[in-house]
Amino acid sequence: MLTNLIFIILFMLGFYALIMKTNLIKNVIGLNLMEAAIFFWVISFSDIGGEVSIHKFGETMGKFNDPVPQALTLTGIVIGASTAALLLTLIIELNKFSGTIDRDQIEELND
Amino acid sequence: MNILEIILLIFLVFSAVMTVRFDEELISIIFLSIFSLILTALYLLHKAADVALAEAVIGAGLNTAIFMSAISQIRHSDSD
Amino acid sequence: MNKLVKKTLITAVLAAAAFALYYNFSLLPGYQDLEKGISDYIITYGLHDTGSLNLITAVLYDYRAFDSLGESTVIFGAVSGIVLILSRKMLPVSSKGLSFIVKRTLGIMTPFIALFGFYVITHGHLSPGGGFQGGVILAAISIIFSIVYGSAFDYRRYSPQTKTVLETGGALTFLVIGLAGIVMEGAFLKNLGFLTAERGTLISAGSIPYINIGVGFKVGAGLAIIFYSMIQKTFEEDF
Repeated sequence: MLTNLIFIILFMLGFYALIMKTNLIKNVIGLNLMEAAIFFWVISFSDIGGEVSIHKFGETMGKFNDPVPQALTLTGIVIGASTAALLLTLIIELNKFSGTIDRDQIEELND
Repeated sequence: MNILEIILLIFLVFSAVMTVRFDEELISIIFLSIFSLILTALYLLHKAADVALAEAVIGAGLNTAIFMSAISQIRHSDSD
Repeated sequence: MNKLVKKTLITAVLAAAAFALYYNFSLLPGYQDLEKGISDYIITYGLHDTGSLNLITAVLYDYRAFDSLGESTVIFGAVSGIVLILSRKMLPVSSKGLSFIVKRTLGIMTPFIALFGFYVITHGHLSPGGGFQGGVILAAISIIFSIVYGSAFDYRRYSPQTKTVLETGGALTFLVIGLAGIVMEGAFLKNLGFLTAERGTLISAGSIPYINIGVGFKVGAGLAIIFYSMIQKTFEEDF
């Protein structure tokens, strides 16, 4: 229950930064926040109070947490970092031509 | 749901609010790094060791470096 | 539309979305009640099927290895895009680096960071870790060189050509192991059974350690290329 509430707060904060802020770097930060909120929710939701899902050598199997959501989250974290780098590169290139990173000012330049 | 987790969740929300609130990019990036660090501790509490390692290395380490190198190249033509 | 109306409207939309999410979550069953046959199968038979003690590594590099191949492709695409956009025939910004104390301290610490990176990569099937995490630790060494010693030092030690060769070599290792799965076991990226040794040893778990090493070098070199491209000077005048 608390996990769902925290997820909603974090996701909405990220969404707010993505929509309301006109600074492009703040938009990327908002995107990162939304990503982190989803990963946090997946990990907390799949936690059933078991052990770390690694067999201990020479011991019998205990109750494990589900490894599949953790593997998917791991994939998502790495992809999130590389896409954030690509977005920042595009912002740098945009800044070189327009001299600003403000969304509204770039739109005014277009007119 | 022990007391440590509740404290960490409070700090998590606090750092996320601080990340969004400030207008300056540098402060936001530093708070984003702190956010990732707290998230690492929470993953460890939820018994997800691999994800915690990835988040510590990528979220708190590499992302900060990439964001810093990006804002160091941003140039403001009209200084306002 | 003035600013205040816009802000009020968006806040209302956000509140509505938050309420919808909350209502949605209240309808969700607990994780125990979900139908999860695949997860139960992996937890029960994962060690028997793959020989990997770490079940997450077993999922990443055996059951869903095709996903990891796709992820490597995404990283390759990001690296290609960044290098394409930021490619300039200019020397990177080189500073003299930080102070003497920082340089000597990092000089002592860097081999241990590298050792930890290789440990995380090669013990991916025995302990928490794997190719992705260890690769990023190796990329951190390149970032340390760039920041502490100046990027000219990083250029001399690990030139972009070396990084490109490492990245391509890692990707090729992954693909070759996948194709060897077709030849020897009959399916793409199937675990190579003849490589399996006694469980719990370093070279056990079939082809998983080798895929780990390939992915580790690929991710590490790729992210190092991303950082190296992003610290390059992109415009002439001083700022």
